[in-house]
Amino acid sequence: MLPRQDPVEIFSTFIKFDYDRFGGWATDTRLRRSMRQSLTKLAADNPDNFWALYWHQIWQQQPTGLAREHLAAYLQEVCFWSATKTITGFSSSQYTVSDCFQVAIARIDKVLQGFDRERGFNLKSYASITFANLIRELLRQKKEIDICSDWSLLRKLSQKRMIEALLDAGLDSEIIESYVLAWNCLKIVYVPDRPSSTRKLPKPEPETWLAIANLYNQERHTQLKQSKEAATAENLEKWLLICVRAVRSSLFPKLNSLNDKKPGYDTGEIVDSLVGEVDESLLVDMIVREEMEQRSQQHTDINQFLTATIQQLKPEEQKLLELYYALDLKQAEIAQELNTKQYNVSRKLSKVRKELLMALAQWSQSTMHISLTSDILDNISSLLEEWLASHYDSN
Amino acid sequence: MNTVNLSIFNPTDLVIELDQSTIDRAWLQSQTAGNPASRWQNYLNQVALAVFLPWLQAEEDATAKAQNQSAEQAAIWEVVNGTAIAIKDAKLVLIPSEADDLGELCVPQEWIDLPNWAADYYLAVQVNVDAGYVRVWGYATHQQLKQGSFNQSDRTYSLSDDQLIGDLNALWVARALCPNEVTQAAIEPLPELAPAQADNLIERLGNPAQLLPRLGVSFATWGALLQNPNWFRRLVATRRGVLTKTPVLQWLKQGLSELSTEFGWRQIELSLNAEGSRGAATVDAVVPAFGLAKKLAIAGQPYELKILPLEEAGAWRFELCCLTPGCLIPAGFKLKLLTSELENFDDNEDLATVAVQNLSLEVDLDPGESLVWQVEPTPDDYQQEVLQF
Repeated sequence: MLPRQDPVEIFSTFIKFDYDRFGGWATDTRLRRSMRQSLTKLAADNPDNFWALYWHQIWQQQPTGLAREHLAAYLQEVCFWSATKTITGFSSSQYTVSDCFQVAIARIDKVLQGFDRERGFNLKSYASITFANLIRELLRQKKEIDICSDWSLLRKLSQKRMIEALLDAGLDSEIIESYVLAWNCLKIVYVPDRPSSTRKLPKPEPETWLAIANLYNQERHTQLKQSKEAATAENLEKWLLICVRAVRSSLFPKLNSLNDKKPGYDTGEIVDSLVGEVDESLLVDMIVREEMEQRSQQHTDINQFLTATIQQLKPEEQKLLELYYALDLKQAEIAQELNTKQYNVSRKLSKVRKELLMALAQWSQSTMHISLTSDILDNISSLLEEWLASHYDSN
Repeated sequence: MNTVNLSIFNPTDLVIELDQSTIDRAWLQSQTAGNPASRWQNYLNQVALAVFLPWLQAEEDATAKAQNQSAEQAAIWEVVNGTAIAIKDAKLVLIPSEADDLGELCVPQEWIDLPNWAADYYLAVQVNVDAGYVRVWGYATHQQLKQGSFNQSDRTYSLSDDQLIGDLNALWVARALCPNEVTQAAIEPLPELAPAQADNLIERLGNPAQLLPRLGVSFATWGALLQNPNWFRRLVATRRGVLTKTPVLQWLKQGLSELSTEFGWRQIELSLNAEGSRGAATVDAVVPAFGLAKKLAIAGQPYELKILPLEEAGAWRFELCCLTPGCLIPAGFKLKLLTSELENFDDNEDLATVAVQNLSLEVDLDPGESLVWQVEPTPDDYQQEVLQF
């Protein structure tokens, strides 16, 4: 893959896939126009980082506007490499780099929401971790879903996922409410009758369907807000099969190709919002510059502190971090390298991470006068992960 | 069981592998539940507790223990999902789930809004028995959940995955560095129930045909009933139809050395004498190599009831003795066995006419036959149970 150099390209082009390989860069003309226009207004010494933060700032004000597209363009390589690296961790995955890439980039909002502009190091390293986690989870879930029979699959879902799948399938809220109740009734009545091998539950027997229908008809009065109509066993079976289909197709949805129209494309709105963005650009510019200055000092401090802290760790702990973060070894491979069990590797890793988290939290408390709470520790923990990934990456 | 490939999980997830004996033990212990849904709920909670608690004790807090006795815990699982754990200066609740997508943490309202039940932290625990692991993938404080979304139809508070704290290490660091952080939001007090009202509710919600008793009345009423331990115990006993089955033979055949059950039975080695005379087991009728014992308190004194398999398959000895050294069972004490329909049969009781070393009964049982034991005077905390052989 030829890396992009020019800021206009970086923020306006997308990867084209040639089957499963990188097949070149495709330009989105409206993004190119927007980027060129912005460049005439503002200039930056560190264009890559500056524009990333700039668009992130604008994205926060207009989450569905052009800024999101610019950032999606910006994160193309990161997403591509995360997909490539993560997929090798799975044996016999039927999904290609291109599949994983598409699914991950479609969930870019998770990256943009999670990125802490004030404290985070840079959007790319944060995105790299988040994409990798996303893809890993998706592949693992997909594998589990594929193993499960329809009736076992229904036990493996959160209510949130079920509702999302039904919404994706285009059902309206009244129907979704009934289906979700039907699904909950099934889960209460039709439970496994043995401790394991629960992935192959057969279709419920007729009397079980009757029991599910009874429970549904009893609960519909209190649990349903919209249609409180009674349902038969046949209705329920039909509904639940619709649920199964919706769930199976929602995890790896057929994505529109990049050449398809995007929402708002070609309409007048874009032009209007473009004008608005440029008017605001000077203010955003100021904010971003100020932030960059603060961040750069903060980053130097954190960097120094963590580098020194790691040097004080026991040699085997340092080695462990290196194998995991720098060499990207799987835990089983690390176990082999260190002549121990995989299980010990994960325990030790968690211990070292905790030690570092403790140190970094204490340091933030005393030098930056941050008063700690659970939420802030959560942020510090992701900051630490980000730092570890980028620290070992650059070494 | 396959070794879990830990590389397929995110680095901050806590993944603990399950072994077959943990699964078997949890399954056996869950068999006392009143209906299949409760049994499954009990099982998932047992599994989560059985792997998470030892990990917690070894890695973070040696004083950690389950908040409730096993009988109370089983009563909770009869109607509500979740397991409370007490650590040094805080309380955790494990919320096990089979959901594989980690979309959200859903906490039953009881764990949030009942003053006796409310905790500091709620842990999202995925239990995947087939893949052989338990995974803690996030947590939230009481306060965060209280601000999360509340689902009226199933009375749960929930937070989506990105609202949870993903790294469990943050919890231990928080306990160390900001132990005074406010984790709990204010809770509304619950109304008091009149005893007659409670009786009425126990009868109504105790009906096992009511599969979702927790949703059967308003939360305030339901909560008030649960807050009173006696009422709660009676509710659960009524739902189970009093006659909860204890699968004696099944337990003994599995030979679970750390078995501890809801009704306080533990496994004991047979004395050498009994062991020595043991012949080879026939193919279809295996004589167990262990017995069961449980402690009883009668008028403040400790006693022990034992169930011992005899040499011949199907023959059993029940024995009551006093645990204080040198103590005898006073005259007037009676050990009694009844059929599962609570009927007498021949030679079904042993009465102490003078103070004696022990009271004992021997019975021959067919496979699957059941008994109920009684002692007079009635032991403290006596709960009628059906022993299945």
